[in-house]
Amino acid sequence: MDAVIEVRDLKRIYRTKIGVLRRKVKEVLAVDGIDFSVSQGELFGLLGPNGAGKTTTIKMLTTLLTPTAGQARVLGYDVVQEASQIRPRIGFIFGGERGLYWRLSGYDNLVYFANLYHIPPDVRKRRISYLLELVGLEGREDEKVQGYSRGMKQRLHIARVLLHDPQVLFLDEPTMGLDPVGARELREAIRNLQTKEKTILLTTHYMFEADAMCQRIAVIDHGKIVALDTPSGLKRHVQDLSVLEIEMFGIPPEAMERVQALDGVDMLSVEDRDQKQALLVHSNDGSAAVAPVVSTLEGMGLRVGSVVVREPTLEDAYVRLVGGET
Amino acid sequence: MILSRLRVIWTVFRLHLKQVAVNTFIIFAVIVQPLIVALLAIYLLRDTEGFQAIYVIVGSAMGGLWTGILHSSGYNIQSERWAGTLESIIGSPTQLATVIIGKTLANTAMSISSILFSYPMAAFLFGYRLTIAHPFSFTVSVLLTVLALVSLGLIIAPFMSVNIGGTIWTNMLEMPIYILGGFLFPISLLPGWTTPMSYALAPYWAARALHATSSGGVPIGDVFSSWGLLVGFCVLYWFISAWLFRVLLRQAREEATLGVQ
Repeated sequence: MDAVIEVRDLKRIYRTKIGVLRRKVKEVLAVDGIDFSVSQGELFGLLGPNGAGKTTTIKMLTTLLTPTAGQARVLGYDVVQEASQIRPRIGFIFGGERGLYWRLSGYDNLVYFANLYHIPPDVRKRRISYLLELVGLEGREDEKVQGYSRGMKQRLHIARVLLHDPQVLFLDEPTMGLDPVGARELREAIRNLQTKEKTILLTTHYMFEADAMCQRIAVIDHGKIVALDTPSGLKRHVQDLSVLEIEMFGIPPEAMERVQALDGVDMLSVEDRDQKQALLVHSNDGSAAVAPVVSTLEGMGLRVGSVVVREPTLEDAYVRLVGGET
Repeated sequence: MILSRLRVIWTVFRLHLKQVAVNTFIIFAVIVQPLIVALLAIYLLRDTEGFQAIYVIVGSAMGGLWTGILHSSGYNIQSERWAGTLESIIGSPTQLATVIIGKTLANTAMSISSILFSYPMAAFLFGYRLTIAHPFSFTVSVLLTVLALVSLGLIIAPFMSVNIGGTIWTNMLEMPIYILGGFLFPISLLPGWTTPMSYALAPYWAARALHATSSGGVPIGDVFSSWGLLVGFCVLYWFISAWLFRVLLRQAREEATLGVQ
């Protein structure tokens, strides 16, 4: 199958000037020579922590940012030299509530963007009413966007991006800030798009989202792709491990250091769970690690709650790949 | 393609007008400010020799138009950037200049409609009759004035795509053009070295034509030459603007100034 998106040794450096009199140029390497390709009809995920280079990559692919080095092609067109060929054929959403005209109604927003894509008036009318129904905003289209909930704004973004029926979609953290029900509905809508043979590049830092939706995932960290595989393939990176989850009420750094020093402990991470924390101990043999880890913690006078040994998830694979950052 | 572009301009015009009609800053800039200027100017100048109320009204109306257009060219790109919509425009098949033209025309329409109400009101308050010496030529001059100011605005707009804090520069341009354009005072009052700068400004020729056709007493040949020079400079501005949009948008993509996080 032909590659719809092709990225070869792509690099982006941000240069900012600091200081008033003696201006210095500060360079930040945001994307550091990445390679990947996405096939026709594939839902491909870019997974990584904040600042890993996901949004920068999408901005280069959507022609909004010029790469410092390397090459990227979308639908066979070069993102720098042939940007005008790419723009009518793609759609993009950057996460969050921005990107809409809040003082206008949802309908007026769609009319505005439909015109930017030169959609004839008769097609536009049919398309807008179809999309309003698709995203569940029919009956609310005449209300001003400023009165919409976050989920409604995100759904309006989805309708906006589909107005010109693009072949390729770039969705940058589309479920960011949505409540669980809104996020689930949006994920369902995105999955439906994929059944319509759209090629989708999705960025997220929600592991379960990437696991549930993407056919392949590139894990990106500090501008580099540290792994690229199917979700099950990524999980195989940690199949030799099991995870010990210990519920605690405060974990001092010394406790982390002492547990990390124990035999058989591969790595540690901490998850916040309301007023409690979960210490996740990645170990070759989780069951065997229970006794020494718990006794170490209790020996330091720490209160230990429930203890569970479980199989590794995509999140565990991700944590291992990006070195504990989430 | 031309029809499609005109449709974009019309949609942007219509929807931008909807938005600015409820924006208090815009209402102040294009309605209240010109009225204050007109009232102050009539009050200050009414006892001077050769005073004509229509000259003051036309001059301050041009100032109001210029403020509105300058605002469209500068602030509108900044507000699109902060709203996160600038990237959506740049990433679409429509050129940014087309969107800016629609927005500028919307602000201009708002200014003109406010002038039609507020300036006769100012003259009425001071008890002056407003008579236009050559109504037809004056109407043509008004249309060409809008063209001149929009064209100048199109040179300023592309700079805003690379300059995140650029509104300060557009604010600084308001009074110099007002003075060099001879909107309210003849440029003969200015030092001689500023005259070439005035001559290079299409709004100066617009002001000349407007004053000549509203106040009268000027040969029609002088009006024609003002129109010709105005159109000539506008064409020159379009070429400069098209080049600037191309170069500066490329720079904006290199320097990552289209969006803010």
